Amino acid sequence: MADFALEPRAPLGGYAETLGRVTLAEATGLALVSAAVPNGGDEAFAAALAEGLGAARPAAGDSVAGDRYGARLLGMQPDQLFILFEAPDPDRAAETVADALGPAAYVTDQSDSWAMLRIAGAGVRAALERICMLDLDDAAFPEGRVARTVMEHLAVIVLRDGPDSFLLMSPRSSAGSFLHAVEVSVENTAG
Amino acid sequence: MSGPFRLDGGALDRSRSLAFRFDGTALTGHPGDTLASALLANGVRLVGRSFKYHRPRGVFTAGSEEPNALVELGSGAHREPNTRATVAELFDGLEAFSQNYRGSLRHDLLAANDLIAPFLSAGFYYKTFMWPKSFWEKVYEPAIRASAGLGRLSGEADPDSYDKGFLHCDLLVIGAGPAGLAAALAAGRSGARVILADEDFVMGGRLNAETHEVNGRAGADWAMDAVRELDSMDRVRLLLRTTVVGAWDHGVYGALERRTDHLAESGGKPRQVLWRIYSRRAILAAGATERPIAFGGNDRPGVMLAGAVRAYANRFAVGAGRRIGLFTNNDDGWRTAADLAAKGVEVAAVIDVRDRDPLAEVPGARILTGGRVTATWGRRGVRGIELATGERIALDCLTVSGGWNPNVHLTCHHGGRPVWRDDIAAFAPGGSLPAGMTVAGAANGNFTAAAALAEGHGAAVAVLDGLGFSAAAGDPPGASDEAAAVSAFWHVRESRGRAWLDLQNDVTVKDVVQAHREGFRSVEHLKRYTTLGMATDQGKTANVAALAVMAEQTGRTIAETGTTVFRAPYTPVPIAAFAGRSRGREFRPTRLTPSHDWAAARGAVFVEAGMWLRAQWFPRPGETHWRHSVDREVMQTRGSVGICDVTTLGKIDIQGRDAAEFLNKVYANGFARLAVGKVRYGLMLREDGICYDDGTTARLGETHFLMTTTTANAVLVFRNLEFARQCLWPGLDVHLISATEQWAQFAVAGPNSRSLLRKIVDPEYDISNEAFPFMACGAVTVCGGTPGRLFRISFSGELAYEIAVPARYGESLMAALMAAGEEFDAVAYGTEALGVMRVEKGHAAGPELIGQTTARMLGMQRMVSKKKDCIGNILSERPEMNREDGLELIGFRPVDRSQELPSGAHFLAPGAEPTTANDEGWMTSVAWSPELGHAIGLGFIRNGHVRIGETVRAWDGVRGRDVPVEIVSAHFLDPEGERLRG
Repeated sequence: MADFALEPRAPLGGYAETLGRVTLAEATGLALVSAAVPNGGDEAFAAALAEGLGAARPAAGDSVAGDRYGARLLGMQPDQLFILFEAPDPDRAAETVADALGPAAYVTDQSDSWAMLRIAGAGVRAALERICMLDLDDAAFPEGRVARTVMEHLAVIVLRDGPDSFLLMSPRSSAGSFLHAVEVSVENTAG
Repeated sequence: MSGPFRLDGGALDRSRSLAFRFDGTALTGHPGDTLASALLANGVRLVGRSFKYHRPRGVFTAGSEEPNALVELGSGAHREPNTRATVAELFDGLEAFSQNYRGSLRHDLLAANDLIAPFLSAGFYYKTFMWPKSFWEKVYEPAIRASAGLGRLSGEADPDSYDKGFLHCDLLVIGAGPAGLAAALAAGRSGARVILADEDFVMGGRLNAETHEVNGRAGADWAMDAVRELDSMDRVRLLLRTTVVGAWDHGVYGALERRTDHLAESGGKPRQVLWRIYSRRAILAAGATERPIAFGGNDRPGVMLAGAVRAYANRFAVGAGRRIGLFTNNDDGWRTAADLAAKGVEVAAVIDVRDRDPLAEVPGARILTGGRVTATWGRRGVRGIELATGERIALDCLTVSGGWNPNVHLTCHHGGRPVWRDDIAAFAPGGSLPAGMTVAGAANGNFTAAAALAEGHGAAVAVLDGLGFSAAAGDPPGASDEAAAVSAFWHVRESRGRAWLDLQNDVTVKDVVQAHREGFRSVEHLKRYTTLGMATDQGKTANVAALAVMAEQTGRTIAETGTTVFRAPYTPVPIAAFAGRSRGREFRPTRLTPSHDWAAARGAVFVEAGMWLRAQWFPRPGETHWRHSVDREVMQTRGSVGICDVTTLGKIDIQGRDAAEFLNKVYANGFARLAVGKVRYGLMLREDGICYDDGTTARLGETHFLMTTTTANAVLVFRNLEFARQCLWPGLDVHLISATEQWAQFAVAGPNSRSLLRKIVDPEYDISNEAFPFMACGAVTVCGGTPGRLFRISFSGELAYEIAVPARYGESLMAALMAAGEEFDAVAYGTEALGVMRVEKGHAAGPELIGQTTARMLGMQRMVSKKKDCIGNILSERPEMNREDGLELIGFRPVDRSQELPSGAHFLAPGAEPTTANDEGWMTSVAWSPELGHAIGLGFIRNGHVRIGETVRAWDGVRGRDVPVEIVSAHFLDPEGERLRG
């Protein structure tokens, strides 16, 4: 038995608030692993995704659900996707994906790189239009759409995961600033 | 009734009264009033003093083009100067103050300037204050500054909040007059996503100010119904009180929405929102601005634009006077006389410069065609006018119409030039519009309501067709065409008194003539010499007439004379709105290290490193100076063990079959043969051969590397690597992803670091010197199974490691390391101690890597491998970068060991004058070495390595220091590196 045991801490400490017509809640317990496609390995990659995760390969900007681990695959760029999933062992998230995909992908754990904040409710678009330059209209950004953008100088990945719900991911070290920016947007547009 | 000048009708809510104050006097108005209309309703004609001559001035227009009626709104920190009373929406409790006078508004001491006006003509600054030269800074400039300017700033921080935002649409319609409403209706009905923005607080534009009929109904009623229909459409967004201030690239427009300026309290919400609107297409329906005719004394309160007086009568139910005259060069002006007469206001005279038949019967009015107004009289407001015939007519308001200028501003924001049209005697939009923009209605030079409605509708239909919307847009609304002929008549030559062109800047016809006489022929020079068209109104009522006067002088046409450049913003935008939320601590994001809260709880002093906050040192009770803390942290680390959060260093995960080859190309030194489980120091060059970053890269697997960069260059290096991967060598199988945020990383340094880590790293991992030597690395588990990575690298020169765990465990690991280190008296150290230890070891860092640093300057020229190619290799061979007598990084210590060393000091030979020619280099970094007991420094000096033992001076002219220093090895401690290998 080791003398010391390490306790994990969520980037936003498990934050959850309802502010008027908008709820904000940190999404915890999700693993995030990037998978890069080796040059010339598209076919093997697609096969590995189907075999290991029961998923098709999303184009950049789209996401698809997989059959295993409650996974959602986010197309981030032509040769890279992010896999958001419920890891059986969070300390082995990258290994789980590596085991599933074999040599068809280069995987890197990103679980701790991003604070994940879900913003949902009737006022969500009014709040986000104060900080998000992307067009989040139904036609331009339907459910399942994913994009990288910048909000208040911070890198953000936006995933639309419901009619009035978006999962926002922003770097962990500046999570406090990011949360503040989103809260101010909600407050400025409430009521 | 609120005020003696109220008329019947108008679009006011007379069921409610609004109390407000102007210069402390209590007055009332109604919802629907502007401050200007309420002042006029109360008979307040004198509202301000002019910029230069402090002439009495009154309300001149009814819109954002207002040059005169500038007031200070609010009090205390909320005070906002130079607010146009004509667009300030009245609310209960509004407080306004006139501005630009000394003494009182009625008895302005600076009105004496008017008496010496002949000496204050255009360009007087440049001629008058030449001598004596020394007087400029101490006497002239302060005096000019004291009397110049308009309103006063509060001098306090703005207590309001501001926001920004982003909107998207198929079609942006700018202006909600007849053209804009018709366009928005057509687009909205066909299902397009529409934004309709208008600067007014009621949509409808001139339909609210005129007596036009649309589709057989009062224009204002039709507009109200149109707005109601638009408001009911899901895909249409109405932006009231929103001025589109500029056109940028790719259909992006800037717009300022004033959200709470019309409310007594903001309710904690942002006062204004600056929108960035992304449009696929835009229709500019910004209308037109009426312009005056210049004649003697045309600046007196009570001389107003005819269309404005019409708006005050029809929309605001205010008579601008009791006995009103009209001076016009066009048909439209006649509407003012007709509308006033219909409202029961006495019209004294209608004077049309044109020899023509009367356009309308105006009961009770003298009709004088071919007439000229040459002068006005009245002390604080006009009491009468004089005609060229010598006839004098008593009146208390003279309305003037010199024609209308299409609001072409936004059409010119991409460098387009408007074109002169003789038929309307005005500049109209040119052929080169911002991409995606169409112009409709008065903004396009089509001034009648019927033309505006038809053109707005037509423009929208054409745009929708281009965007693929096929649904029915409905029929265009109809109206009858009113008369709109105009003559090009700009100023009354017969006038002897000063005839004002630019009311805001006190520029007269004579000033323009004088500017021409003195050689200023270009309109841009004219503008700068006379200040024509500057300040808040940007010459909206002034410029064209001034150009016409200039054209007369040069004998050119107005078309040949041209306009000055129109630039954004269209109307003033507070700097606070541009700043938005970026104030104080919110100016930029803050990045916190995983151990931040742990450090804060222990009283750490933090320092900004880019966006990061890093612990600089950890003061302990009894330590009265930062050096006490830092010396202790250094001594304890070198004596036993210290722990430092180094998470901020950039970490880049690099994978791929060709990752090793890739690294070999981006680092100056070789990486191809780095063994798995080993770390190597790497030096990175720019294309031009200059060193720009360094760090270590670990080989975690055959196809897997982890690069570290400096904190400052983490993003730059990543960007450069992506560029190299995607653009330089797309054939290589290399994949990058940032791991900076993923791993919390701590330096554990000092002779007891291994002993400490044995308590943290799980026992199945052998970290003995034999199994895990200097520059080893590998995956480990810590504290009973938590995944981690261990690197045996040293910045301090001690036996040292860096240990990393997933960031979520970072804070906990910091606490565990400190607890495990208790028996060794482990210390947490900050960036200052880190810096001291790296200077003691002679390591280059930010102060040395300044964008001019070559490998040779760092003594690392042999690291630039000539056995392979790398970025910067060729250009690093340039002779000047490899001079034998070039600058070299070396150590310095004071000859008198008790002296401190000045960072940034320049090196001079003993006895040499401190001149550029004698400069031999400079001190880049200094520190107090607690182990050596004296100050030490690093610096660049010519030919340093062969001058060890020599004494030079560290001369610092800024701080007044001149310290004799000895040149020594940069490796102040353990030059053989025995400690770190132990």
